[in-house]
Amino acid sequence: MTVLFSIFSFLYQTGDAFAFLVLSACGLAIIFGMMGVINLAHGEFIMCGAYVCAAAARAGLPLPIAILAGALAAGFAGMVIERIIIRPLYDRPLDTIVATWGVSMVVTQGTLILLGSTMPGTGTPFGSFTVGPYSYSVYRVVLMVAALGTLGLLWVGFTKTRFGVLARATIQVPHIAQALGVNTGLVYSLTFGLGAALAGLAGGLYAPTMTLVPTMGSAFVVEAFVTVVVGGADIFLGTAPAALVLGAVKASLTSWQGQLAGQIGLLVAVIIVIRILPRGISGWILRERT
Amino acid sequence: MKTLGLLQGPQTLGKGKPFWSAFTLVVALACAYPLFADGYDVGNNVYFFNWAFMALGLSLIWGYGGTLSFGQTAFFGVAGYTYGVISINFGDAYGLTIFALVASVAAAALLAAALGYFLFFGRISGVFLGIVTLSVTLVLERFMAQTAGPEWRVGAARLNGYNGMGGMPSLTIPWFGSDIVLFPDVQLYYFTLALLIACYLGLRILVNSRFGNVLVAIRENPQRAEMLGYDIRVYQLVTFIIGSALAGLSGVLYTSWGNYITPASMGMTAAALPIVWVAVGGRSDLTTTLIGAMLVLAGFQALTIHGSQYALVVMGALLVLTVLIAPRGLVFGLGTLVAALVNRKPKRQGE
Amino acid sequence: MKKTLNGAMTALGLILLCSAANAQDPIKLGVLEDQSGDFAAATIGKVHGIQLATEEINAAGGIAGRPLELVIYDTQSDNTRYQEFMRRVLQRDKVDAVFAGFSSASREAYRPIVNQFDGLAFYNNQYEGGVCDANMIVTGAVPEQQFSTLLPYMMETYGKKVYTIAADYNFGQISAEWVRNLVKDGGGEMVGEEFIPLGVSQFSQTIQNIQAAKPDFVVTLLVGTAQASCYEQAAAANVNLPMASSVNVGQGYEHKRFKPPSLANMYATVNWVEEVDNPQSKAFVERWHKKFPDEPYINQEAENSYLAVYLYKQMVERANGSTDKEELRKVIAQGDVCYDAPEGKVCLDPKSQHMSHSIYLAKVNEDHSISFPKVWNDIKPYWLGEVGCDLTKNDPSEQYTPSNLPKAAN
Repeated sequence: MTVLFSIFSFLYQTGDAFAFLVLSACGLAIIFGMMGVINLAHGEFIMCGAYVCAAAARAGLPLPIAILAGALAAGFAGMVIERIIIRPLYDRPLDTIVATWGVSMVVTQGTLILLGSTMPGTGTPFGSFTVGPYSYSVYRVVLMVAALGTLGLLWVGFTKTRFGVLARATIQVPHIAQALGVNTGLVYSLTFGLGAALAGLAGGLYAPTMTLVPTMGSAFVVEAFVTVVVGGADIFLGTAPAALVLGAVKASLTSWQGQLAGQIGLLVAVIIVIRILPRGISGWILRERT
Repeated sequence: MKTLGLLQGPQTLGKGKPFWSAFTLVVALACAYPLFADGYDVGNNVYFFNWAFMALGLSLIWGYGGTLSFGQTAFFGVAGYTYGVISINFGDAYGLTIFALVASVAAAALLAAALGYFLFFGRISGVFLGIVTLSVTLVLERFMAQTAGPEWRVGAARLNGYNGMGGMPSLTIPWFGSDIVLFPDVQLYYFTLALLIACYLGLRILVNSRFGNVLVAIRENPQRAEMLGYDIRVYQLVTFIIGSALAGLSGVLYTSWGNYITPASMGMTAAALPIVWVAVGGRSDLTTTLIGAMLVLAGFQALTIHGSQYALVVMGALLVLTVLIAPRGLVFGLGTLVAALVNRKPKRQGE
Repeated sequence: MKKTLNGAMTALGLILLCSAANAQDPIKLGVLEDQSGDFAAATIGKVHGIQLATEEINAAGGIAGRPLELVIYDTQSDNTRYQEFMRRVLQRDKVDAVFAGFSSASREAYRPIVNQFDGLAFYNNQYEGGVCDANMIVTGAVPEQQFSTLLPYMMETYGKKVYTIAADYNFGQISAEWVRNLVKDGGGEMVGEEFIPLGVSQFSQTIQNIQAAKPDFVVTLLVGTAQASCYEQAAAANVNLPMASSVNVGQGYEHKRFKPPSLANMYATVNWVEEVDNPQSKAFVERWHKKFPDEPYINQEAENSYLAVYLYKQMVERANGSTDKEELRKVIAQGDVCYDAPEGKVCLDPKSQHMSHSIYLAKVNEDHSISFPKVWNDIKPYWLGEVGCDLTKNDPSEQYTPSNLPKAAN
């Protein structure tokens, strides 16, 4: 019986780490992986989603609606930023670093000035359940389900819907898409907005479990970036397996040696994986296929 | 003489009499500066100079070599801590701090050689290289931040974790009579200024030489360079080592300036800052990088002093505007404008 | 006769003029605090405390007749800014004293500079203790004040099995060392100790480890807004253990930021919080809210900053208006520089230049209101003096820890 409890505990911890990585990374996977924009303001989209979600929940909206509100707010902000700042920079990826770093500074400090240094949170819903000697939070399982659900919806969206096909075509061969009459500007805006909305979704989902301060995005950014890069350009063949591998490494090391080992181990794993697979996981998988 | 001729060339902006006269004028003004500035300003400018080496190194690696290294702060930190360890253990007599400086820069170069070999001979490039270098600097930061206990010491020097290592002696030049201790004042100013001019001119010679031409060729089209017979990995590795050694020099000078080094110098924000300075100035030229980095550092400090809570907002907006208005760097844009005005051909009669 | 009288009148007039001019010469106080960046949530209040005290002091005639002027810089939670601005404030602005620093790293970054220019700096934050430096006056609480009160109470009330989770850096590690020693002295047992790097915000594994060890109570020494997320996550997993802390509630006001009952059964030893219920404290809170109506919370660091201004005023006035560091140190050496602060009576210890504190045991209830089961008065910062730091005799300018003691003087 104890073995079963340990197995459950391991699965839970890995799933928890996996969910965190997937949710932080999928928005960035679209913006960076698909569109090539190095978005250093990713943490701020997450913060936007978290703040709007917390404000909406405190105003009385039920939590799922509040989370969606956060995602939509971040998506809208993303579309605005794309139109004004990102649009001219698509073929200059390294300049997006400076531009988005600037956006990050403006948004973080602006939030501090306008909304103060901290925002009261909402509680974590759903209580707890017990397996063996430990009690676990139900909400963390909800997060795992949300992570898988997001991946599933994205896959359906990008492969089965018209918008998904158009988006992928526009990003890969913009001139041909334009020649075929696609409104490329709108597609860029919507895709970037989708990436931002996913970041906002992550923020909204994690808002009940975290402290809400303007700089809260920094807790997500590094792990999101390493997951996306280790994954490579494709979200489904790259980001998801990367999140699984890195999540497992982090969870195992944390349970064996503590949080410091988990943190350092994650980064060392990143270095090793990129050394072995210099084009990321999806680069390796896709080359295998062809 | 031929080497001196390489001071100007196709890879650097500025040539001929107008440029070098301006350069001499700037150097003269810089030398005369302590005469009409107070102690605070002199020391503050030394602080800015400390960071210039890191900017120049990154310009070499990124601007000329085309490799975005997100982890220059790792070498900054390693050299700073090495300087602290050596100078605390051996003291500052007999010019030992100068030895410590050289040894620390060498340590940074050694780490760069190891990491560079791993990166370039492992065919890691582009954004993947950026992430690996970022991971390296973050691992160092996280590791050093928890070395607070008494067991974390090298000889007499405690690493002291997140609180930072302090108490190391400043750089001291042995002199007849009594040693000159380089506090952030006039003597340190001239020392750092001399180092800066030497590095700047040395780098100009390097990038205008055959090495520099090959480097730029690699940046423009790596496969073509390889097909022409150059082992691009060696060139990238050497560039990486030189640039990272410069970052290490920044680290030593900073540690000596403030008698303090901390793991936060290797963190995420610290890692992103040099990239921002260099990008604002114009990374593909040494002169614009140098001017741009100085302007951004001084400008951000001035904004923080006078702008209260709006400082960060203004800084962020400035960065965004720079990128949108002057894509190759603000100073680069200005520089080309000035160059165009100066080199305008005079109208011939009758045309 | 007339000439002499004229001369005398002129001389008198000149003297009056000079002293009038001198009387108008402001006393300048530098303020280096993080008003933006990661630490802002805990430190904006400190600046407000200094501003409130300055306003009150100037309204009552200033310090020794001279108005008090503030020179404020935002250090953006960045150690390099502390270095830059400490140089500026001492060398360019030539202030008489500086109030600076939140994190210990920032204090250690600026201490060499204060020593170089022989300035006087106040560190108004709780920290891991041990700074023996004649240029520093520390009003923040130190481990012997917070733990030697907290741990015996918790072990008596809840049991002897203790689990510590601490931030993985100097403050957390040294505090954990204090906890270890006190638990051993009290006959208790450390069933586990876990160190969490700064910036970590996900605690599922830690929560599981705590449950596996089955402690009677958990000592939480979590620092920073990311780590504070642990409380919410532990409550969601229904860990349901009493917690003891020296750093939460009083500094980061988690009981106001997280939804009840995530911090229920948290016991924190603070030197003051907004909820302290005595007339002087309540009047102080009222004055504060009148000047700063949007303040989310007045934490203990803000109160320390406020009373430090008054302490400085007392020292300068007792030194006959001189702001010279050595003159002020002579006043401190007299041993009775005390002030009637909102927390109670506080005094400066001449040997270490640290401050005694009233320590309130703040218990967070189910609805996140605070009650005070116990109050200790006049807990002195005895540790530095005990291990050999005596600033009345010499100035080592060092930071000592339980594992890095001063070399025994021969």
